Amino acid sequence: MQMQNIKIPYVNIPGQHAPIKAELLEAVGRVIDGGQFILGSEVSTFEQRFAELCQTRFAVGVNSGTDALILALRALGIGPGDEVITVPNSFVSSTGCIVLVGAKPVFVDVRDDYNMDPAQLERAVTPRTKAILPVHLTGRPADMDAILKIARTHGLYVVEDCAQAVLAEYRGRRVGSFGTIGCFSLHPLKTLNACGDGGVLTTNDDALYQKLQTLRNLGLQTRDNCVYWGLNSRLDTLQAAILLVKLKYIEAWTEKRRANADFYRKALTGISGLKVPGERPFEKAVYHTFVIQAERRDELKQYLADNGVGSSIHYPIPIHLQDVARGLGYRPGSFPITERQAERILSLPVYPELTTAELEYVVQVIKAFYGV
Amino acid sequence: MRVPFSYLDRQFADIDAYLNDIKELVKSGDFTLGKPLTEFEERFAELCRIPYAIGVASGTDALVLSLKVLGIGPGDEVITTPTTFIATVGAIVMTGARPVFVDSEDGYVIDALKIEDAITSRTKAIIPVHYTGNVADMPAIMKIARKHKLVVIEDACQAIGATLDGKPVGSWGETASFSLHPLKNLNVWGDGGVIISRSAKLAEALRLYRNHGLVNRDEVLTFGGNSRLDTLQAVIGNRLIKQVKFITDQRIANAKRYDEAFADMSEFIRIPKRRPGVKHVYHLYIVRAKKRDELLAYLNENGVEAKVHYPIPVHLQKAAKYLGYKKGDFPVSEEDSRTIITLPAHQHLTNDEIDYAIEQVRSFYLKSGSHRISREK
Repeated sequence: MQMQNIKIPYVNIPGQHAPIKAELLEAVGRVIDGGQFILGSEVSTFEQRFAELCQTRFAVGVNSGTDALILALRALGIGPGDEVITVPNSFVSSTGCIVLVGAKPVFVDVRDDYNMDPAQLERAVTPRTKAILPVHLTGRPADMDAILKIARTHGLYVVEDCAQAVLAEYRGRRVGSFGTIGCFSLHPLKTLNACGDGGVLTTNDDALYQKLQTLRNLGLQTRDNCVYWGLNSRLDTLQAAILLVKLKYIEAWTEKRRANADFYRKALTGISGLKVPGERPFEKAVYHTFVIQAERRDELKQYLADNGVGSSIHYPIPIHLQDVARGLGYRPGSFPITERQAERILSLPVYPELTTAELEYVVQVIKAFYGV
Repeated sequence: MRVPFSYLDRQFADIDAYLNDIKELVKSGDFTLGKPLTEFEERFAELCRIPYAIGVASGTDALVLSLKVLGIGPGDEVITTPTTFIATVGAIVMTGARPVFVDSEDGYVIDALKIEDAITSRTKAIIPVHYTGNVADMPAIMKIARKHKLVVIEDACQAIGATLDGKPVGSWGETASFSLHPLKNLNVWGDGGVIISRSAKLAEALRLYRNHGLVNRDEVLTFGGNSRLDTLQAVIGNRLIKQVKFITDQRIANAKRYDEAFADMSEFIRIPKRRPGVKHVYHLYIVRAKKRDELLAYLNENGVEAKVHYPIPVHLQKAAKYLGYKKGDFPVSEEDSRTIITLPAHQHLTNDEIDYAIEQVRSFYLKSGSHRISREK
């Protein structure tokens, strides 16, 4: 097929910003006029609104989603000698944070929904296990009921990696409100995105909230009193001001993502060689990524590119097969579902700014590839 | 009159140029490790006369990442001084290593003569802090480091532009760490930091570490963290870096004005030793003062925003309890914490404002004491 001049990039941040540019710059201007660039009212207002959005009591803004995970583990006292159970199909951060606090990551495989398989959790628990770190990958909630049940049985903390899942719901409740702590990323490519790195934690626990606030600010309880050794990991005030503008739109943007996902799902269901992500009735996924599984994936990706459609793979190499994970003792075959998915998954453009014509075009190209 | 400690409102008297740059960046959407960051890193390296500069999320992270790429971790000891901002020590603890303190000398930098006594078989590194913008005795420290095969990381968070015998800070250590925090001499509009190094190998490792250990989008070589200098902040840095010479010269002139005015007040105000060969950049203008707390209150009441950096030395912080230090272990550092005061000395102050601050210091001692201080030299 080869349609002339059509270009649908995989992501389009300038497209997101064009209609709200005046508002964004005004927010930036206000911070400059105030001269308060570290913490301050924009950060605390953002934290309050974000907590409300996640249906939690507290939120703490930090420097990145990775730092959110590191600080969560640190606040829970997890370190050398401890084990944390997570999944191997995520972005490297959700394992990196465990290693960076000195603990050992232990993987369990995922299910067809790209999320942790609770049925395998039990077997992975040892006397050294301190926490379970499920990832709501692609913006779809993990099976929290089953995970929380196992956590309670064994007295484990649950740290939710919600980096891709702002506003995602499971049985009517928002992610980030289930575990001991929820960790979110505000990276430019996320659904709620800053114009730089940023992250935020959620919790309902008063003591953890106090501790996280201190830990992200070098362990300083006041200007002069240092009670913990901590990092410097603050959400920039400038970014908080930008995020406050975007919070006004995040629900509408998310609905548009869901509508786009629905469009794809309807249009692509039934094509042989292709599998679209489902959504169970008690789930509300937010489609940070819309991930299909495709036969001849690499050829399809190339064909899409040849026809002007950007796509991406999240992620082609599972974490347990990365160079860095060699010491953990896993090998090809350790997690068959993750490994099989890594060869077949492909993320299609799903951002809110896509037009119906563009969505139709993507579908058309895919259909042409499979000859239907 | 009000003599403010922060100068941010004055720095942004004309913000249109900055806003225009931001507008361009928003248009491009290039927010992570973008082109303005590379440009800023090149300019920063040039300013420090060194081949490599790597932008990271903060000065603290600049120290943590330096320690990590040099392989320092659990079981290792790192020597530094308790006369510093807690981040220096926090960075050591964050890697799993143990901080070991050595007292400071007159001038708020580590006392090189006392370092050797603190070295054990577990010592791996020394972190001298160029505190206040003064420069530690790097030739002496390097001699000790070479003798004991230790690596040196310069904490230059407060010392952009400072030199010793004409050599800029960062010329001695394996790496040097800088902060771009809003209150620093060279600042951005949020948290930020830079690491410099002469080593291509270290620079490469640092770039890996600040970006999840990713060699490319999909392959991970080492578990790093996420510690990137925001491209948005680099845009601001690219404008402000052109002002470093002005900022430094102005701060030095302001400090000189204070030094001269306090020269005949040695009974009340002790100016630290100004070592020959050191170009001190006065991120903080700090002197020891009699009746410090009363002076501080008096100055604040009269509009001079004096501060104390810091009233509690790091070894006596609650977080440091497990290290087992006690009061009396570091007499110079402890005496500093009881007596030091920081006077506003930033580049946007006028001579009238400095003179007003001086006047208030004088009137405090004249009013409260029977001593007459001649205003004439």
